Amino acid sequence: MDFELLLGIGRFVLATTLLLLLTVPTAFVIIQMEMKIIAQMNLRFGPNRIGYKGMFQSTIHGFKVLAKEDTVPDQADRSAFTLAPWMVYMAAAMSMLVMPFAPGAIAADFNIGIVYFFAVLGLSVVGLLVAGWASYNKYSLLGGLRSAAQMVSYEIPLTLSIVGAVVLGGTLSFSELIGWQLEHGWLLVWQPLGLAIFYVSSLAEVNRTPFDMVEADSELVAGPFTEYSGMRFGFFFFAEYVALFIMSGILVSLFFGGWLAPWPFPAQLDGFIGTIWGIFWFFLKTYIFVFIAVWLRATLPRVRVDQLMGMAWKVLLPLALVNLFITAAAVVVFEL
Amino acid sequence: MTKIDPDIRIPDPIELDRIEEQRLRSVAGLTPAQAIAGGEYAGFDQVGIPDRPPQTEREREVYTLDEGEMLINMGPQHPSTHGVMRLVVKVRGEVVVDIDPVLGYLHRGIEKLCENATYTTVLTYVDPMDYLSTMHNEHAPAIAFEKLYGIRAPKRAEYIRALVVELNRVFSHGLMMGFLALDMGGLTPILYSFINRDEIVDMLSAISGQRMLFNFFRVGGVNWDTNDEFLSRLGTWRSHVMKNIEMNEWMITDNEIFRARTINMGTLSGKQAIDLGVTGPNLRASGVPFDVRKAHPYSIYNELEFDVITQESGDSYARYLQRIAEIKQSINLIDQIVDKMPHGPVQAQVPGIIRPKPGRAYGAVESPRGLYSVYAISDGGPTPYRFRMRDPSFITLQAMPVLMPGRLVADTMAIMASLDPVMGGVDK
Repeated sequence: MDFELLLGIGRFVLATTLLLLLTVPTAFVIIQMEMKIIAQMNLRFGPNRIGYKGMFQSTIHGFKVLAKEDTVPDQADRSAFTLAPWMVYMAAAMSMLVMPFAPGAIAADFNIGIVYFFAVLGLSVVGLLVAGWASYNKYSLLGGLRSAAQMVSYEIPLTLSIVGAVVLGGTLSFSELIGWQLEHGWLLVWQPLGLAIFYVSSLAEVNRTPFDMVEADSELVAGPFTEYSGMRFGFFFFAEYVALFIMSGILVSLFFGGWLAPWPFPAQLDGFIGTIWGIFWFFLKTYIFVFIAVWLRATLPRVRVDQLMGMAWKVLLPLALVNLFITAAAVVVFEL
Repeated sequence: MTKIDPDIRIPDPIELDRIEEQRLRSVAGLTPAQAIAGGEYAGFDQVGIPDRPPQTEREREVYTLDEGEMLINMGPQHPSTHGVMRLVVKVRGEVVVDIDPVLGYLHRGIEKLCENATYTTVLTYVDPMDYLSTMHNEHAPAIAFEKLYGIRAPKRAEYIRALVVELNRVFSHGLMMGFLALDMGGLTPILYSFINRDEIVDMLSAISGQRMLFNFFRVGGVNWDTNDEFLSRLGTWRSHVMKNIEMNEWMITDNEIFRARTINMGTLSGKQAIDLGVTGPNLRASGVPFDVRKAHPYSIYNELEFDVITQESGDSYARYLQRIAEIKQSINLIDQIVDKMPHGPVQAQVPGIIRPKPGRAYGAVESPRGLYSVYAISDGGPTPYRFRMRDPSFITLQAMPVLMPGRLVADTMAIMASLDPVMGGVDK
C-alpha cells in the first residue's frame, strides 16, 4: 500500500481522536465557568465543595450522567430517539476539524474550511429536529420545530456576514485568512458591521441567551431534550457547550486574528514554540468570548420566538447584504 | 344548641344530581355517550386524565379541537407555573387559541378547617393560604372577628399591624419583579429579589418568631410588641432598601428585551378588569383608582398620607411599573408609621375562647394581590359558623382566558407572571 495514504489515515485518526478528547474537557470547563460565574453574578457562592473552590463540580456532573439510567419513552421512535444525541454531538465535534488552533495545529487545513465549517455545524439542527420529533412529547416537538426555524433562519445572516471577510481575504481557508490578518490587521477593523452581525447570529445559532428559544425552560421545560436522561442528555448538554466554544473560536479566527498575539507581543513565532504561543492566544481570546456569553446569560431575559425570527429576516439579513455590498464595492474601487 | 342562619339552605343532593344532569344535556345538546362518539370533542385523554363528557359549555369549547389545533398541558408540574397550577393551552402552532386554568392541586380545605377552629386559632390556619402575603391573610380575619366580637385593637397594635403588613407588601411585590423576569429567562433579578425578601423576613422573624407563616396577629391586637432586634434590622434595611430595589429595577425596567416582551402584552382595559372582578395592582395598572386602603379605610390608613397610584396602559409592563411604584409607596408609608407610632399596649383584653354574639362580619384588606376579604358568620358558638375568604389571585386568574388568545406560548408564562397569582391562595 501507498505509504503516504497510510500516513494520512494515521494522521486523520490521531487528529480526530485528539479533537474528540478535547471536546469533553472543554465542555467541563465551560459548564464550570457557567456555574461559578453566574453564581457570583447572582451573589451566590456557586459550587464550592468538590476540588479547590469547587472546580471539579462539572466533572462530577459529567460522571454522574454516565451513571444514570437511560430511559426511552414508551411511544418514542426508539431508533431516531437514540440517534439524535449522537447527531448533534458529531456535528459539533466534526466542525472542530477545521478549527485553527495554531500554525501547525489544524486537524484539516482545507482550502474550503469556512464552507465546510458552516455546512457541518448546520447539521446539528437535524439532530435537534429528530430529537423533538422522536420523543413523542409536545414540548419536545415545539422545541424541535423552533430550533429548526431558528437555526435555519440565523444561518443565512451568519454565513452572509463573513462573506465580506472572505471577499477581503480572497480565501476560504482559515489559515490563509489568518495569514491575511497578519499582514493587514485584524478583520475586526475592516469588518465591524460583519462582526456585529456574526456575533448576534452566532449566539442564536448555538442557542445561547438571549436566543435560547430551543430549551426555553419557562415555556417548554427543556425543549427537545425534555424526554432525555442519562448520557443521551449528556451528549446534548456537552454538544451545546462545545458549540459555544467552537463559535467563539471561529469568531476569534475570523475577526480577532485567531492565533495571532495582540500588538505589544510578537504576533507569531516559528517552530514548536510558535504552536504553543498560538494555542495560548487562541484559547485566551476564545475564552473571553465564552465568558461574555456566560455574562449575557446571567444578565438578559429571553426574546420571544417571533421577535427572534423577525430580527433575523428584517434586521440582520439586510444588514449583512449591505455589508457585503459595501465590502465588494470597496474591494473593486480601492483594489484591495 | 346552635342557631342556624335562615338564609342558608342546603338542597337535597339527589335533586342536585338530577338538575346537574339535565343542565349538562341541555348545554351539550348530546348525551355523554354521544359527546364522546361525536369525534370532535377531544376529551381529556390528550392531557392525561380519563375521558369524560364535557361538564359545561365552556369546557366543551376548550376541549373541542379544530383542524390544526393541539392541546398542551402545562403543569401542575412545570418549571414556571407559580406553584401547582395547571394550564391546558389550546394552540395552533405556537399561537394560543384558548386557555383553561385547572385549579385544585393545592386545595387544603382551609375554610372548612377554620370553621372547626376557635376564633383565636383561625388566625393560625389562614397563614399558608397566600404564602407571600401571610400578614394580610391574618389581618382580614382579625378585622372581621374584632367586628364580630365588638372590640378594637389598641392604637399601637394597629400601627404595628400596618407596619408589618406594608413590609410584607414590599417583599411580595419585590418577588413579583424577579418572577416576571425569571419567566422570561432572566436568571438574576429573582435572586436579588430574594436577598431583599430575606432581610424583611429576618426582620419579621425577629418580631413574630417565624420566617414565613408569621402567626403574628391576634384577635384584638398583635402577639408581640416591637423589640430591639426588629427595630435595628428595620433601620439597617431602610438605609439601603431603595438602593437595592433600584439596582434590581435597573436590570429590568429599561431592558430592551424585557420591554419588547411586556409592552402591549396582555392588555387589560379598566372596564374588562372591573367586569372580571380583578382588584389590586392589576386593576390599578389598568387605570382604575381603587385601593381598599383608600376606598374603605381600615386599621390606621386614614391617618396616613398616600395617593392611589395608577398606570394607564394596563399591559404587563404597566403591571410591573405599578408594583415598583407601590413598593416605593409602601416604604414611604413605613416611614410615616414609624414616625407616628404611639406608645401603649399591643393587645386588648380578650379571653382565650371568644364567643361572639350571632351575627355576620366582613373584613377586607388590600393585599399585594388585591382585595382580600373574609366573611364570617357567628352562631354564638366558639367557632365560626361559616368562614369564607375571597382571595384575589383566584379572581385574577379569570383574566387568563381573556388575555391569552392570539398570544404565543412564550407569552402565557410572562403574562401570568405579570398578574402575579399565588396558587396557595387560589386553591385555599
